[in-house]
Amino acid sequence: MTESKKISRRALLKAATVAGIGGMTLGLSKVGEAASPKEKTPAQTKSKKKILGVDVIKVGGQGVISGAHADYGWQIQAGAILAIDEINAKGGILGSKLELKFMDEELKPAVAVKNARYLATEWGAHLLFGVDSSGSAMAIGPILPELDRICVFDHASTHRLTEELVYGKGIKQIFRIAAPVYQESNMAALIFKDFPNIKRWAGIHCDYEYGYSVWALFKDTLKKYRPDVEFVSIAWAPFWTMDFSSHISAVMAAKPDAIIATPWAGEGVMLLRQALMLGVFDKIQAWFQCMGGSVDILEGISREVAAGKFKDKLWATARYIHNYPDAPENNKFVASFRKRWNRFPNYSAESAYSTIYVFKAALEKSRSLKTSDLIKAMEGLKLMTPAGERFFRPEDHQAIYNVPGGRVVIDPNYPIPILGDLKVFPAQAYYRNPPFEALKMDK
Amino acid sequence: METLVFQGLVGLSVSMYLWLLAAGLTIVFGVLGVLNFAHGSLFMLGAYFTFTYYGLWGVNFWLAIALSLLSVAVVGYFMERFFLRHIYHLDHAYQLLLTFGFILIFDDAVKMIWGGVAKIPPMPSFFEGTVSVVGRPFPFYNLFIIGTGLAVAIVVWLLFEKTWWGKMVRASASDREMASAIGVNIPTLFTGVFVFGAMLAALGGALGTPVRVVAPGIGAAMIIQAFIITVIGGLGNLKGAFVGAIIVGTLSAYGILLFPVFELFLIFLIMAVVLMVKPQGLFGG
Amino acid sequence: MKTRLAILILVVLLALLPAYAGKYALYVAIHILLLSIFSLGFNLLFGYTGLLSFGQAGFYAVGAYGCAKILLTYPSLLVGIVGGVVIAGAVSLLLGFLCIRHTRIYFSMLTLSFGMMIFSLAWKWRDMTGGDDGLVGIPRAPLEIPGLFKINMAPMENYYYVVLAFAILAIYLFHRIVHSPMGLAMQGIRDSETRTACIGISVRKYRLLSFTIAGVYAGLAGALLPPLESTVTPPLAHWSHSAEPVLATLLGGVYSFSGPIVGSVLFYLLKDIIVRFTEYWQMCLGIIVVVLVIGFRGGVVSIFSRKGGRR
Repeated sequence: MTESKKISRRALLKAATVAGIGGMTLGLSKVGEAASPKEKTPAQTKSKKKILGVDVIKVGGQGVISGAHADYGWQIQAGAILAIDEINAKGGILGSKLELKFMDEELKPAVAVKNARYLATEWGAHLLFGVDSSGSAMAIGPILPELDRICVFDHASTHRLTEELVYGKGIKQIFRIAAPVYQESNMAALIFKDFPNIKRWAGIHCDYEYGYSVWALFKDTLKKYRPDVEFVSIAWAPFWTMDFSSHISAVMAAKPDAIIATPWAGEGVMLLRQALMLGVFDKIQAWFQCMGGSVDILEGISREVAAGKFKDKLWATARYIHNYPDAPENNKFVASFRKRWNRFPNYSAESAYSTIYVFKAALEKSRSLKTSDLIKAMEGLKLMTPAGERFFRPEDHQAIYNVPGGRVVIDPNYPIPILGDLKVFPAQAYYRNPPFEALKMDK
Repeated sequence: METLVFQGLVGLSVSMYLWLLAAGLTIVFGVLGVLNFAHGSLFMLGAYFTFTYYGLWGVNFWLAIALSLLSVAVVGYFMERFFLRHIYHLDHAYQLLLTFGFILIFDDAVKMIWGGVAKIPPMPSFFEGTVSVVGRPFPFYNLFIIGTGLAVAIVVWLLFEKTWWGKMVRASASDREMASAIGVNIPTLFTGVFVFGAMLAALGGALGTPVRVVAPGIGAAMIIQAFIITVIGGLGNLKGAFVGAIIVGTLSAYGILLFPVFELFLIFLIMAVVLMVKPQGLFGG
Repeated sequence: MKTRLAILILVVLLALLPAYAGKYALYVAIHILLLSIFSLGFNLLFGYTGLLSFGQAGFYAVGAYGCAKILLTYPSLLVGIVGGVVIAGAVSLLLGFLCIRHTRIYFSMLTLSFGMMIFSLAWKWRDMTGGDDGLVGIPRAPLEIPGLFKINMAPMENYYYVVLAFAILAIYLFHRIVHSPMGLAMQGIRDSETRTACIGISVRKYRLLSFTIAGVYAGLAGALLPPLESTVTPPLAHWSHSAEPVLATLLGGVYSFSGPIVGSVLFYLLKDIIVRFTEYWQMCLGIIVVVLVIGFRGGVVSIFSRKGGRR
């Protein structure tokens, strides 16, 4: 008995010391910033000379930087750094320079929330942005009022973010700069409504909300234009699916005319490769790869495209493609990005780059870092960005801009495949509008 | 009917990767008594090494596979000789914990060395093309995988049944002390078995390289399936691992075709049922 | 006397934390308290009874989702937390019946499969659990006893005190349990099943008790989460989450009372701080685990204490 008590006592003593040290470490990390914990705005060396009241505007971002989807986080970071360096070189925003801290959300909502809290309350971010995963976005959204920060979402595409959280719950701190799932689902429907020979559709979809919502929206829209269409087969692939052969052969058994697929990033490349191996492109008339216009997928399939393996049947869209629009803003952005990073910018890079410029425009308008002022400045904001003119509609803080869909082709002007045969539809026409009905997603 | 046959064949090719992964896991457990949580990481390393040799350095595909087997053998050697060897006498829990630590280390190590972005290697041209099975195109590559898996099964069986080394291994598995008493160098044997198991896992990873994503975390994603297979087949039982892999692979394939909703839950339910009803597995005694 | 003083100092320090710690530090502190409760329960099963469960996250998730569903319909904090704990306890009792007949590897694998079954239910049963999006918008409901008082929980300091109170209660109860005949029986089972059975102790009964209590503790930790984060998602049930109390306890010390608590502090702080400087926190953690298993199986506590860890 005494033995275990002795251990306990020592252990408790040590525990006390450790906990005490731990607590003090955390407490001490605030000392350097000379702020009381009750203060709302992050501690900064106040600057009376700067209009915004600070020398440095801190911007906190996050994205996925490891795993099969890691390129997207890298792209967000790359786009943001490019924009920040450009702006700082020209004197910053109203005289204050920008500073970036970027963290890994690990595709886990719990981590994303922790990062957001850390960036906003501990690191002192004035502005938040980024976030690849929809789950993370849905978890971060509700805590933004408590953190009193706006967050511009660069990738997370779930319609629920804007429809439910902004419009439904009035969380005005949320803004989304990238096209949501309305883009790929409707683009597929709008393109293929004009292909009378394509009547039987199959889907290979992500077995999580993204896949469910795209499939539901696609079917809804297509049915409106083409009541003769049938949806003959569907296969669901969870995260970390490495082998899609079973999924592909399952849907091909139903002899579809065309297939629409949502697996993205590294998974998307392998899905297409496995489909090629299974001879799918000899049988079907078309394949719509939802985020196939994304740079990492185009790079991944470039050899096969160059060899004509897809037989001109592969179609795709994205949330921005580097060859549209052919306008000075875009061409300049692509050129600077390629010069700096030696790669083409992905849509998440463009979103992040534009996000920083949106911050600039908003701050120049509001002349204040206060969240409420920023919200007012950003609602209804119109800005020319590389992807085209963006308009943040006040109803749900979703940016509206046009992104085309097209066929994956080789173009002599580009070292990687691009989307050609572009079909452009005004986004205003196919984005959902309030009041929003909940989306019925079957399985 | 043709659909079921075709789907089953696809499932069979998926099973072969699982077999290669589970084989090593079950051998190591049967002989060393260690359940190597990090076994999936060895599979992942096999894929990464092959990507480097074949995809980046342009080495001949077969040579690249051989080289990555050797590379992973080295990794396995270090793991066993300098770490696992110290904890054989401990509770299984510590072995699980130690090997779990290795999962964390390997996942970040590949990130450090190769970067976090998924790797896409080229497809060896001699593997393109399809064979017509029940009127549908079946990839030549998948046939190759099925063939290789079967070949490995035969070779491993021959190795353990007919060779002198195999007999020593089996003896050590059933009675370590006796085997040692008749002169078997147990520590060396154990290292050899562990390395052998590692190479099997690496082979699975290597063969998957042209068609599957190579990214950090794919090992951890597969290890659970490997556990399920070895449990179903019987921990330590090679025949069980082979049959278990086929069961899991083809059931998954049929699940995707026929019951898309319940696949994940079903697999774990089967594992739980086997553990509760017959923990030694289908073939364990 | 020294023990009592140490505990007093600790409690005072913790009670005063909001005064000198920043908002983020408070958030971290709450998470550490949750992990401590989680790990304490886990260690009753592992350190004291000798059963390594890789499925505790399943009960954590049941507690979390249970509390979340309650709060979404009836926003009263105590009802949500207690409800979550009760549901988690019931589920662990049920599953305990099935699991405790087996030991060692088979037990670990079985708990892993049940935990993952809960995970796949959370992921697929969209109507009930919200699927992979989870349950969103869970209120940080006020602490109230109708007719007596109603305290607003919106300021994080207030919620911190609630969690602290539950943590202190949980630790106190744990102390009572392990120093009771029940606790001794469990340790007996861990050390030698046959001998313990020989002196007339029902091995099964105490294993089940241990399993259920561990599940209750996991459920409590889980139930305290939704009011903090306002979201619960399926990864809470994943086996990689089950690994956290395992690692924390290993780090702190498996064969000591305070090991899980010390370990939780260290584990959480380590991860939080490492992640600010390098993206390779997993490797750092992995190296620490390997070092501990090879050399310091008694954990940090054993390094400081003269008696050290056994085995």
